[in-house]
Amino acid sequence: MAEQDIIRMVNEVFRDSFEIPEDKLVPEANIFNELGLDSLDIVDLVVALQKKFGVTIRDDERVRTIRTLGDIHSFIQLIKTEGKK
Amino acid sequence: MRILKLIYLNLTFYFFFLIFSLVAIPGLGAFVILCALILPRRKVLKRLRRAIVWYGTVIVRILPFPLVRVKYKDYARNQGKGPFIFVSNHRSSSDPFLMACPCYSYEAIQVVNIWPFRIPIVGVLAKIAGYLSVRQMPFDDFKALTTKLLKEGVSIVVFPEGTRSRDNAVGQFHGAIFRVALETKKPIVPICLAGNENIPPIGSAFLHPGVIKIHQLKALLWEEYGELSPFKLKNYVRQIIVDEVADMERCA
Repeated sequence: MAEQDIIRMVNEVFRDSFEIPEDKLVPEANIFNELGLDSLDIVDLVVALQKKFGVTIRDDERVRTIRTLGDIHSFIQLIKTEGKK
Repeated sequence: MRILKLIYLNLTFYFFFLIFSLVAIPGLGAFVILCALILPRRKVLKRLRRAIVWYGTVIVRILPFPLVRVKYKDYARNQGKGPFIFVSNHRSSSDPFLMACPCYSYEAIQVVNIWPFRIPIVGVLAKIAGYLSVRQMPFDDFKALTTKLLKEGVSIVVFPEGTRSRDNAVGQFHGAIFRVALETKKPIVPICLAGNENIPPIGSAFLHPGVIKIHQLKALLWEEYGELSPFKLKNYVRQIIVDEVADMERCA
């Protein structure tokens, strides 16, 4: 999956699930301090990402290190690449 | 002159605070024990929660007067007998005491951080009264406890920023209580605090003279917010508080 497609689809999740405006969805945006998600919203986010990309990330320890939107883009890219192997 | 005023304020406040607490807290403890002997648990808790509110009222409205004044405006009058979910911004360690103003007519508990439970006697009484430390429990337990309290008619006071603001800006909200509100359909009352950031400032117990403003806004009914997602709801309530606090500071 191309990097641009991943960015577009992740941003769609943020727009559809949290109604966050497009202009706030920049890779360096901190998902907690700037986008306003909390630990409970992260659960909703994980569910929405799993559905959108058809992957299982719920039990992946690397989710805990995610801080920015860019981290999510990279993480999904990584998951997708690992899935291909 | 200003320094002398500051020293006077702090010496008198802490002197009377100590004397009052030394009398009121053991008195409150004895009162609870006495009530527990003759009244059912539900009534004991109700009296204890009301007594804690009275204690807070004396601490914030009487002891520091006239150097610290509290101006409380209630825009939410005649909105029923509750229970309500009071949601406030958080600037100072005096905020839990300030909640005595909006909660004066209600039986209420607060969702607080861990530290209030560590205060001798007060911490024990807070625990008995059912005060909750959201950091010490999983969300499902928090939801079950708050839902039970609301069903019993007990209002809940929450500081959803979770910690005091270091720059007076209203921080991001945690959504736990808003998820409870959506399920229990209880009204949410925004409480806006301003002017208390130095009474006392973060990392200090030193009070500064000033005027604390508390605005209790109109309750948001479930009919108005029930369609929102938890994320949208917490940000909607946050924005109401942000706008009101900005107005309060412009008028200061």
